[in-house]
Amino acid sequence: MQLKTSKPAGHIRDTLATLSLGLIAANAAISPAAAQQSTDNTDATPGEVTLTLPYFEVGSAYLSYAESGGRVRATEPSVDFSYHASNGGVLTLGFQEDSVSGATPNGAAPADVAQSFVTPVQVKTSAATSSGGTGTTTVTTGFGDDTNVSGNGGEGGEGGGGGTTTGGTTTGGTTTGGTTTGSTTTVTVTTASGGSTIISVPSGSGTGGTTAVLGRQYTVPANTLPMDRGFQDQRFAGNIGWSQPLGPLSLAGVTLSYSKEHDYSSISGSASVAKDFNDHNTTLSFAVNYSSATSTPFGGVPTPLTVMNPQWKTVASRKKSDMDLVLGLTEVLTRRWILQANLSYGHSSGYQNDPYRIISQVDGVTGEPVDYLYESRPGSRTRESFYIDNKIDFDWVIPEVALRYYHDNWGISSETADISARFKLYRSLYVLPNVRFYQQSAANFFHYYLVNGQSLPAYASSDIRLGKFTAVTLGAQIGFNVTDNSEIYARAQIYQQTGDAHPAGMIGQLQNQNMFSGIKASWMMVGYTWSFN
Amino acid sequence: MALAMADTHRSGGSDRPASTLARSGADFRYAFHAMATPCEVRVETDDAALAEAAGRAAEAEARRIEQKFSRYREDSVVGRINASRGRAIELDAETAQLIDFAAQCFEMSGGLFDITSGVLRKIWRFDGSDNVPAPEQIKAIQPFVGWQKVTWETPMLTLPVGMEIDLGGLGKEYAVDRALAAVGAATREPALINFGGDLVVSGARKGGGRWKVAIESVDHAGQMAAMIELADGAIATSGDARRFLLKDGVRYCHILDPRSCTPVTGAPRSVTVAAKTCVEAGMFATLSMLQGPRAEAFLKEEGVRAWCIW
Repeated sequence: MQLKTSKPAGHIRDTLATLSLGLIAANAAISPAAAQQSTDNTDATPGEVTLTLPYFEVGSAYLSYAESGGRVRATEPSVDFSYHASNGGVLTLGFQEDSVSGATPNGAAPADVAQSFVTPVQVKTSAATSSGGTGTTTVTTGFGDDTNVSGNGGEGGEGGGGGTTTGGTTTGGTTTGGTTTGSTTTVTVTTASGGSTIISVPSGSGTGGTTAVLGRQYTVPANTLPMDRGFQDQRFAGNIGWSQPLGPLSLAGVTLSYSKEHDYSSISGSASVAKDFNDHNTTLSFAVNYSSATSTPFGGVPTPLTVMNPQWKTVASRKKSDMDLVLGLTEVLTRRWILQANLSYGHSSGYQNDPYRIISQVDGVTGEPVDYLYESRPGSRTRESFYIDNKIDFDWVIPEVALRYYHDNWGISSETADISARFKLYRSLYVLPNVRFYQQSAANFFHYYLVNGQSLPAYASSDIRLGKFTAVTLGAQIGFNVTDNSEIYARAQIYQQTGDAHPAGMIGQLQNQNMFSGIKASWMMVGYTWSFN
Repeated sequence: MALAMADTHRSGGSDRPASTLARSGADFRYAFHAMATPCEVRVETDDAALAEAAGRAAEAEARRIEQKFSRYREDSVVGRINASRGRAIELDAETAQLIDFAAQCFEMSGGLFDITSGVLRKIWRFDGSDNVPAPEQIKAIQPFVGWQKVTWETPMLTLPVGMEIDLGGLGKEYAVDRALAAVGAATREPALINFGGDLVVSGARKGGGRWKVAIESVDHAGQMAAMIELADGAIATSGDARRFLLKDGVRYCHILDPRSCTPVTGAPRSVTVAAKTCVEAGMFATLSMLQGPRAEAFLKEEGVRAWCIW
């Protein structure tokens, strides 16, 4: 038998509240505080009380990214885990894995003739086996299209891992049609995304027919943006962090992150503190982040502004370090309006070149390519940025406007405006469209190309990310709670960079080329979060 | 200077755990051990002497109530009642008010809350074992349970032979509320009284901020701590942390239904209730546990601010 549910709601509550107060107050030594409490008790409901139980949160997401024109494609599954202790402490763990493939602009300017580029390859030779006395040489190009070159240079071997994932199927690269010219054998390696040629020389001695490989050559047709195809990499990243209220600080935290690719690794640590003032309406925060990265490019580290060549470079790796400081202010202006402002300062020192990137050296009259030099960037970069974000809650919609200004001593200034609105549709269902505008000025060492015969500048790069361009992002996120404590969401974005295809002052044939190598990309993400005690 | 006061005060013989006074953020925290639970008094002040006076007043009140109503002490009021062998005895005003309160809760809950059910602990021992009493044992003890069998005409109480009363079900919460009154007599500074997770605050902190306090053992394993924030009123938690029986996959919580003389089944692992006073919060926590699987629905019907852990 249960309590009589026919009783009006709150029946017991009213009686019990009165009885309880009577019990406490009914004593000779009624204190002023207790008397105060009993007279104040016109309503028996206590004020806002929150009870925070510790809980776990697990999230998983899958991101798919694609640049149009057969350029970079990437997929990134990630898993996040957090433990929220009741004292406000939070432990976070995260793992990501990226698989990247596709073509990337190599930095050379387009031309009205076909252009060929040579890059190093790595050779591993296995001993001859009994049958036929033919050994196998595995050639690794650094871009995923490992190829077996047979000893006599004739037979085609199966390309290993050279395929690019297209529409869910993987097409392996194959080696076809070797030709022998004098003492040099060239083997054309056809990958799914484009052709490149292994230049090799059969060795004179030995019966195994091992092959000396000079390098890899790929050719880009006339009037085409030069890109290196078959680019492939994989990245693993993980992070761990802890934050909690600490002494007079509202929050103090540390995080440690590590990321590893074939040719790049970085480790970073950050520490942050925050303090609330003004009855939690004002929060000041400060964060410092330090990271150290090692670049170990395939083929070694090229000397900046030297001619592109297939030789294996003697310097294997270079390091870079970054330090960033962020001062933040969060202000609750009204119960529904939150403003956040950040001021950041950062400094990078060390190796900041893209080791694979080149810049064309062209004829001063015709604009035809003469040579390709490895790019060169300053070893020091100092940056400052200011960010301000406004968020207002109108119950049915929460609009948000964020603006950012950035400047660095490479000469880049940028402005960003990010506008979004979270619409509550039905119960937990929401949709969050966003639009983002971005523009930046060029770095002072950005050049579309260098002119042959002129003295070389100290620094030069044709990376459009260091050039002048504007970009627009359009996107939307939709999400809803599957249960009280789990949410599923999906997000899609398209991103387009636009810039000047025919900048003033181009020489000769370059006037007819599209000099803007910006990207158009889209990405899609689906994720699920689940929290439990 | 204030920190220099953070030393240990011996408040009795070596058998009694020492009380301590220490600076804790913007508060002074006076801690002691009473009613088999850790107790603390927080006063938001820079005046260590004032905080100590408030803490001592609260401790004195807690120890007074513990001694007066302990069922383990023959010289306590409850001890005297339980040894009355069917004779009518006269109760003092404070005890009479507690008995009145318990009697009204018995009426209001349709007999679910019953201070005579303590005798059931003779057959139900909640020690985590599988010692579930036999049906004959339950049948044999039933005549000795039931407030309706007691004659209560304020201030005279007549308890039938073989029956016992136990005010443990509301003693700690009562002590919390009374301790706040004692602290209020010593200081008007914002204060918090926390006796083993049953707590009350005098009001908001200076500047209107809320008190933040961690309470332990809200789940069955006694491992899940919760953080509570409140600016007024009281909090009490009822749960079967470490006090249960487990037999044939059935978990018997330590809260007994006096009508069947068996433990409630299907109840939440714990219920935490917010109310104006600790006595009210504690009574709601107990009453909702007694509802078993309907605990949450009951609390909703009553419009009580509560958190259940299942």
